[in-house]
Amino acid sequence: MKILVPIKRVADPDNANKVKISGDGTEVTSEGLEWKMNPFDEWSLEAALRLTEDGKTKSRVGEVVVVSIGPKDAVATIRQGLAMGAERGILVEGEDKKLDALVVAKILQKIVEKENPDLVVLGKQTVDGDSNLVGTYLAEFLGWPVANYATSIRTSDDGKTLTIVRELDTGAATLEVKGPAVITTSDRILHPHAVKNGVTPDDFAYPESEGGRYASLKGIMAAKKKPVEETSAAALGVDAAPQVSYVSFKLPPARSGSTTFVESAAELVQKLRNEAKVL
Amino acid sequence: MIEWSEQHKQIRAMVRRFIETEIVPKREALEFGDTPPYDVLRKMLATFGIGEMNKAMFLKALEKEKRGEGTASLESSGKGGPAAADARAMQMIPIIELCRHSPGMVTALGVSIGLTAGAIMKRGTTAQKERWVPPLLTLEKVGAWAITEPGSGSDAFGSMKSTARRDGDGYVLNGSKTFITNGPYADTIVFICKLDEGNPEHERKILSFVLDKGMPGLVQSPPLRKMGLHASPTGELFLEDVRVGKDRLLGETEDQPARSSAKETFTAERTGVAAMALGIVERCLELSVDYAKNRVQFGRPIGEFQLIQLKLAKMEIARMNLQNLVFRQIELAGAGRELSLAEASAGKLYAAQAAMEVALEAVQLFGGNGYMAEYQVEQLCRDAKVLQIYGGTDEIQVSQIARSLLA
Repeated sequence: MKILVPIKRVADPDNANKVKISGDGTEVTSEGLEWKMNPFDEWSLEAALRLTEDGKTKSRVGEVVVVSIGPKDAVATIRQGLAMGAERGILVEGEDKKLDALVVAKILQKIVEKENPDLVVLGKQTVDGDSNLVGTYLAEFLGWPVANYATSIRTSDDGKTLTIVRELDTGAATLEVKGPAVITTSDRILHPHAVKNGVTPDDFAYPESEGGRYASLKGIMAAKKKPVEETSAAALGVDAAPQVSYVSFKLPPARSGSTTFVESAAELVQKLRNEAKVL
Repeated sequence: MIEWSEQHKQIRAMVRRFIETEIVPKREALEFGDTPPYDVLRKMLATFGIGEMNKAMFLKALEKEKRGEGTASLESSGKGGPAAADARAMQMIPIIELCRHSPGMVTALGVSIGLTAGAIMKRGTTAQKERWVPPLLTLEKVGAWAITEPGSGSDAFGSMKSTARRDGDGYVLNGSKTFITNGPYADTIVFICKLDEGNPEHERKILSFVLDKGMPGLVQSPPLRKMGLHASPTGELFLEDVRVGKDRLLGETEDQPARSSAKETFTAERTGVAAMALGIVERCLELSVDYAKNRVQFGRPIGEFQLIQLKLAKMEIARMNLQNLVFRQIELAGAGRELSLAEASAGKLYAAQAAMEVALEAVQLFGGNGYMAEYQVEQLCRDAKVLQIYGGTDEIQVSQIARSLLA
């Protein structure tokens, strides 16, 4: 099975409180912040790696190609994916400012047409833009089925048929999907039994984790030698311009940060109702 | 010029994530609850494949040694090159990262792998290496290196009382050791003592033996209470008529260059302190900058006061110097060279003092909060002090530097 995993680098979400807004309020500046792989993408990459390996023997049985769209140094994020275990990388050079969900989906469409993967697995959203659009747009452009917010994926025939559980506000829905397909994943995809591929024994449990797998030292060294193809939107024949423009940004109000100790639950309720006015 | 490469940064990010997920939440238990550090260290070695990688490398080298091609160790071939520089950098990054939160972990790990396995790799016979080294490299077994005694610290060899007496084909060992890192839990112990042939003490040969936990006559004390470095268990060892065969005598010969071998060990031990100090200083600086920006007194963040700025500036200078010391070591490894004992001593002296000064200033900058255990600078300050004491005190480093200058 071959899986394409689009990954985006985002400003370290653990330091989101350090994000600043430019003087004219039209731009979020992330100067001085470290770049990290969008957590949702990291989790989708973990799901893709689980789909293409024998989890028990740790041997690869399929191929994962990671693709990122961004400036040249986004290649570091691709290398991180390769260090985790992906086989190849593709960097589509582009300026962050000139990308929106539509442009990204159009570029990905071209990559999919070139690579012919069995599946595209991506995070349900990025933690910077939060628009939750790319997966759905991409499926529409490809004419493929899409399953959003997947919490589990099961296949036994290299993704030709998939059983996917989606988490909804009202409960869980189980879908049967014919591949090739687009799947967007939620954090629950990291559950020890969330991904079954028919190769890893069904009773095998992955370790409990709040993130994708750690790259081993060996993996990090090997990633240096794995191929990363560089291309651009123009070379792919995509000339879309972003259709969304951001007018202004505003930071949330600073928190007061004061702490009050209460004696009882009743007092807590009373304070939340009368002082904080949140109940 | 040396800078951290993209790959180094990746390793740093991975190790940092592991530490923040696996070690930071266990701080209470490790710091105040006598929880030994080995489980989490084992998990770290396994997660990053470090233990298995070292073991595979060592076993390959051991096969070569058996065919008569060189001696098996984990040290670089001495030829240098970018790979050797990279290997050194990858060795130092986890040390720096661990020291940001738990210098004790580095001590426990370093003593087990660097000192104990290191001593056996350096002086052991092929059979001894095969018997004791592989499980030490993955921390499946915990190692201790026992030289210090109640009456012998800085004057390690001169005042050493522990003895080995010949007894048939083997030896009988006696003595007591103290301040032994990993002592309470060690499975494999390198015990350093003097061969008692009835000759004057200062003429006696220095011998090293490898002991296993549970041998009759060997007692390992519970952990000693100490000022800091709580994540690293320290204990005493008592030997009363411990009988050993010649197979436990390191190198299986009484003619060991034990003094020079211990000196090589000191060089290695001292070299690692720059990376440890860098981790402590980086973290203290990071916490201090954050505090200076957010702590408001007299209506403004304390970072706007010049006395606070001076502290931060001095911390940054120490951080830069320490990073340069670390880069120098990477550069030397790339050139296929090692620090001399005097250079290692100078680096260690500076690094230990810088870490102590920075950590004390961090506590001062945090004021009352800095004195509270809740704020991490309190722990780092207690931990930093040991750097001026172990691996040779500041005073011993000074004499080592002076001796080489005046030679």
